[in-house]
Amino acid sequence: MGSNKKYWKGLEELEQTPAFVEKSKGEFSESIPVENVLNEAGLSTKTPRRDFLKTLGFGLGAVTLASCNRTPIRKAVPYIIKPEEVTPGIPNYYASSFNGRSVLVKTREGRPIALEVNADSTDINQGTDAVTAAAILDLYDMSKLQDPQLDGKKTDWGKLDTTVKKALKKANDAGKEISLVSRTVNSPSTLLAIAKLKEEFETVNHIQVDPVSYSGIIQANKESFDKAVVPTYHLEHANVVVSVAADFLGSWLDGQRHTQDYIKTRDYKSLKDGKMSRHIQFEAGLSLTGTNADVRIAVKPSEEAAVLVSLYNEITGSSQSGALSTNKKAQTAIQLAAKELKLNRGNAVVVAGSNDAQVQILVNAINAELDAYNQIIDLESYSKQYAGDDASFKKFVDDAHAGRIGAAIFVDANPAYTHYKAEEVEKAIKNIEFTVSLSDRKDETASLANAIATSCSFFESWGDASIREGFYTIVQPTINPLFNSRQIEKSLLAWAGDRETSAYDFVRKNWEENILVDSGKSWKEILQSGFFDNTPSESAAPSFSGNVTDAINKATQAAKEIAGDIELHLYEPSVMRDGHHANNAYLQEVPDPVSKVTWDNYAAINPKFAEELGVKEKGKIKIKANGYEADLPVLIQPGQAMGTISVALGYGRTKVGKAGNNVGINAYPFVSEINGNKRFTVKASAEKTAGIYELAQTQTHHTIEGRNIIRETNFQKYLEDPSSESGQFKDEHKTYDLWNKYESPGHKWVMAIDLNACTGCGSCIVACNVENNVPVVGRDEVRRRREMHWIRIDRYYTIEEDDKKYTKEHDIKNVEDFENVSVVHQPMLCQHCDHAPCETVCPVLATVHSSEGLNHMAYNRCFGTRYCANNCPYKVRRFNWFNYWNDSRFDNYLNNEFSQLMLNPDVTARSRGVMEKCSMCIQRIQAGKLEAKMENRKLEDGDIKTACQVACPANAIVFGDLNDPNSEVSKALRNERVYYVLEEINVQPNIGYMTKVRNTFEA
Amino acid sequence: MRNISSIIGGFVRTVSLCLILSLSLSVSVFAQDDIKEGETLYKSKCTSCHALDRHLVGPALEGMSERHPDEEWLVSWIRNSQQLIQDGDEVAVQLFEENNRMVMTAFTDLSDEQIKNIIAYVDAETAGGGDEEQGDASQIAASQDKGISPWMIIGVIAIAAVAIAIVLVLNRAIQTLEKLVEANKDAIAEAAEEESDRENRFLVFAKAFVKNKKLVFFFVLMVVAILGVVGWKVMWNVGVHEGYMPVQPIKFSHQIHAGVNQIDCQYCHGGAYESRNASIPSANVCMNCHTTITGADHYDGSLSPEIAKIYKAVDYDPDTREYGDNPKPIEWVRVHNLPDFAYFNHSQHVSVANVDCETCHGPVEAMEEMYQYSPLTMKWCVECHQETSVDMDNEYYDQLIEAHEKLKKGEKMTAAMIGGLECGKCHY
Repeated sequence: MGSNKKYWKGLEELEQTPAFVEKSKGEFSESIPVENVLNEAGLSTKTPRRDFLKTLGFGLGAVTLASCNRTPIRKAVPYIIKPEEVTPGIPNYYASSFNGRSVLVKTREGRPIALEVNADSTDINQGTDAVTAAAILDLYDMSKLQDPQLDGKKTDWGKLDTTVKKALKKANDAGKEISLVSRTVNSPSTLLAIAKLKEEFETVNHIQVDPVSYSGIIQANKESFDKAVVPTYHLEHANVVVSVAADFLGSWLDGQRHTQDYIKTRDYKSLKDGKMSRHIQFEAGLSLTGTNADVRIAVKPSEEAAVLVSLYNEITGSSQSGALSTNKKAQTAIQLAAKELKLNRGNAVVVAGSNDAQVQILVNAINAELDAYNQIIDLESYSKQYAGDDASFKKFVDDAHAGRIGAAIFVDANPAYTHYKAEEVEKAIKNIEFTVSLSDRKDETASLANAIATSCSFFESWGDASIREGFYTIVQPTINPLFNSRQIEKSLLAWAGDRETSAYDFVRKNWEENILVDSGKSWKEILQSGFFDNTPSESAAPSFSGNVTDAINKATQAAKEIAGDIELHLYEPSVMRDGHHANNAYLQEVPDPVSKVTWDNYAAINPKFAEELGVKEKGKIKIKANGYEADLPVLIQPGQAMGTISVALGYGRTKVGKAGNNVGINAYPFVSEINGNKRFTVKASAEKTAGIYELAQTQTHHTIEGRNIIRETNFQKYLEDPSSESGQFKDEHKTYDLWNKYESPGHKWVMAIDLNACTGCGSCIVACNVENNVPVVGRDEVRRRREMHWIRIDRYYTIEEDDKKYTKEHDIKNVEDFENVSVVHQPMLCQHCDHAPCETVCPVLATVHSSEGLNHMAYNRCFGTRYCANNCPYKVRRFNWFNYWNDSRFDNYLNNEFSQLMLNPDVTARSRGVMEKCSMCIQRIQAGKLEAKMENRKLEDGDIKTACQVACPANAIVFGDLNDPNSEVSKALRNERVYYVLEEINVQPNIGYMTKVRNTFEA
Repeated sequence: MRNISSIIGGFVRTVSLCLILSLSLSVSVFAQDDIKEGETLYKSKCTSCHALDRHLVGPALEGMSERHPDEEWLVSWIRNSQQLIQDGDEVAVQLFEENNRMVMTAFTDLSDEQIKNIIAYVDAETAGGGDEEQGDASQIAASQDKGISPWMIIGVIAIAAVAIAIVLVLNRAIQTLEKLVEANKDAIAEAAEEESDRENRFLVFAKAFVKNKKLVFFFVLMVVAILGVVGWKVMWNVGVHEGYMPVQPIKFSHQIHAGVNQIDCQYCHGGAYESRNASIPSANVCMNCHTTITGADHYDGSLSPEIAKIYKAVDYDPDTREYGDNPKPIEWVRVHNLPDFAYFNHSQHVSVANVDCETCHGPVEAMEEMYQYSPLTMKWCVECHQETSVDMDNEYYDQLIEAHEKLKKGEKMTAAMIGGLECGKCHY
């Protein structure tokens, strides 16, 4: 039955360490100290009986007294004048945008409570990423500044404006530069506001700097095609994707767009048509993208350029020097990859993660050779997400040191944290006579500034964005500013001398005069739809005019600089990103898609390499590079290239807020420079240091005892037999049930999850948290295995070495090389079993089955025996050890007067001592049914979508009614690839999984 | 010498008498139907212009029968006063002049009997001022009684009946024994003469009582049973606030709005038809009418203090008829409180299932002050779900009805049958 491959979640499980075995035995990792209580305070004392009676008497009395309170009087305060569009109890949706993506803001009685993708958008219209799903928490963040500040003291806007204007005038009059430093600004209105400021003060100079920059790509495209832009990728046209260290499904450029497109050639619909793309990944650290690759080859950062040179040679037939000469495995893979690429000319693309312009010129040359500029790489509707220019920021720092800068305005930029030479930046800022920060909090940069003009979140502002050429989105406010803050454009306009124009008028005028001209669309239409698509028509593929030989020589030279025994690879993690949202507790608690670590960054090291270095799990390592050193906790990471250490950026912030301060170690100082651009790989040295540090890792929590729950096949086998490896029984045999059969005459809610589509990004986890009021528990509680997530994504490793397949546990012990792992992501949530083992053991019938196939959980009935969690074969039940929403010990996360406002009022906030688990968004099911009833019609497929389904950018989750034979989920579940996890124990789960299909070379 | 049996016999007789009396009392209640009808008529026809104790549009009705002892005249006046005036009736003309020539509406549709009932009600009402409150209290008590299951009442009655029967049988036995004692009186030594002393009579009774083991047992049993029943009732009703009638910041009367003026529930509580919340109307809804209706005729031409509270909330100046910029929301006290873990959706019940508001909220149109009519317990929800059949006239239910017909042909399909009792319907 199925594959007999061995899957494992963590090395401790693989090696069956005594600690792991011990912990996996019980339901809880730490046993309940019942015996201690009995032994010490109870039985051995002299008067246990009298003590017992005393306690009992007091307890009884106290409880009686406590319960004798009069029922509290509850007030009901209606609106004074109810806005026409608000009906208490019914959500309103407003089109807005976040990070340039068209989204819908769900509000209840005027409070934004969730973000969903705008499914009508012509850009990204499928799912959100974790950051978007979690953004709602940033609105209610109590760590934000509540008033504008002047010299560290609270002030009012009038005073602030006068002071700023005076300082800007002084600098302008002196002919000194006024530097406006920002992250990439693609909002037409913000750019207009900056232009207005420039009109008033002519020395204003706008400098854009991104924490993780792509200025290498911009430079390369300027040199190759005379277009200084970051291209947009249309991966749905790619049959072959070769990525060299680009985490394109995660953090590289636009991971969400890439995911949406990439999956179109890999999900169950595409497989049904017999089509599947091939993805080959060369990289050092195991990235989210690497885990999804069909073939993944571990290479050191210093080998990346050589890999590309070899590829170039193979494809063009030329013989440039600097080709890969080490790493046998990679060489074979390159040959095969090159063959594939050539075969699919026009439908093949190579991407590289390096920020070295020379490497990117080489990549451009390969792509030009592959005709990728026809369909896949788009330089016309180019991406405007990253326009940061490292060189101009460098110049700013130098100028500031030299005293050439009269004043500086920081717009949502935090170079004092994100720049690799933070100390120099700090000195530079202090050297500027007047600095003002437009920031929502007193962050690392703002705390150095003379003034802080507190800015609003996008929930509180009018605005717009344009993430790629020709595509515009609108930002509309859904709540009045919670604090005394003012949106950035208003501040800039005020300093430009215009205090009267409202943000609404300003944005509207700009759209009507500049964007919507001749489009035939009105402002109102745009406000309703949320976006405006004016994508330029495709033009002929540009011709490549770069100097390849020169680029190869320079890139090879640069690679030599970082080649060493230990190469440090810095990456932007796919959930926490550059650290801008570090105070978002939801994001901090999402396990990293690969390592499953929460609340920390770490040094990822290959198991064998860790042995060489003498470090172990829970150990610490001191890394020195670039004149900076840091002690990081060690994470043993299978798949990591030997001789490399990967460290995530975006951690170690010191002034972001209660939740995010001092979480992890700041790795930005390790960033170096290459031809004026930021470089994220560096030669390093490392040594073991003293100290024990336990990472809050969820990977082996809720283990499934090595049962056969992952079914995997390859594309070739799939084509021969679509049901290959799915473990489906071909023969009929009689089964016997201990349970009564449940009838579902009305609806039967089921779910289908496509393992081939799921990339493991984790946005479903956040969306579920937001929808279902799932609390954040913090690092310590996660260490105790008490995370509350209703849906988790299990990550399983497996090893294939050449043709040897490790099928048995003792075989795996002989593995030489941990570089060669492949990964399967499996979202795991309550399976709503028809024969649910949890229901059988509940002594109070708190969890029972419904006639619609759902496993209900009545919190008010549950009294916390936790039998159900113990009896659940999927380990998806969660116990509330504390009243997380209202307990001062968890103040940093969600327990404050503002974050309570984001609770979904349709879902109970669970109290201490009760079990909870996925309800399949029953509140949405009920709401969808009610809507149908109110409209006197049948329920239609797609009326009801679960939160995880809506958030999934890969469309990996399909939910619906099995009783409707034409529903999407019914069709999906009729797929040959479908299997049910642990179906052999006949619990009859209602969630079907589709086998993982890998398009490997052997095929 | 008074003996025990006679005491017990007396007790039993008293109890039986009480029972009979209370029965007859409930019969005499039926005799008051006339007044009841009078009340209903009074409230629907008269209250918009008259009050009992004060001048509204028309004069106070208190003492009406004393001022006009001729009932026939009163009846014809009430039916059509203008007719009387035109006919030149002196009293009528005088009354008309006294009241600023205000024309009273004619009620030609009322029968003599009905008008007499109204007069009887007004008389009864003015005679016993507290009657109304008593009526309300008994109404609440009656509605509370709904909470006790009929089985409980039958059980208690049965226990009482059995107990009385036992007492009678025992009493008979004791009487027989006493007769025996009487017969053998000579054989028994004379008791002390102090017995006749009046002061010691109670002591003797107590002694005799204690000596009578059966009686003591019965007494203790009764006490335990009563305590048990009371305790059971109290415990089950912890947290049940049936009849809860908090003092509201504004003395808003549903009786005037929904009863007298027949304003539809939906006018103010529109949410009930489309949302989970019935929603308390915002103050601007009040202002739709109360910009013109100031209640001045009830307050000698000045603004009603209660309506003034609305004006204060919306910061409205009735003299200049302008709104200020300092509104303050009205903080009503919630009457119906469901626990947070119970999800209730008004629109499902009101719009989909076509349940009348009165089913759960009671006779709102007669409520001077709003109170909680239903217990709002889970049992109460469940009972209704078990009895109520699904409104089939909805395409959504077509599939379910089909399935139901297959399984249980002919039986009515209740909410419970389509999952209306499942935990997840209300708890999530």
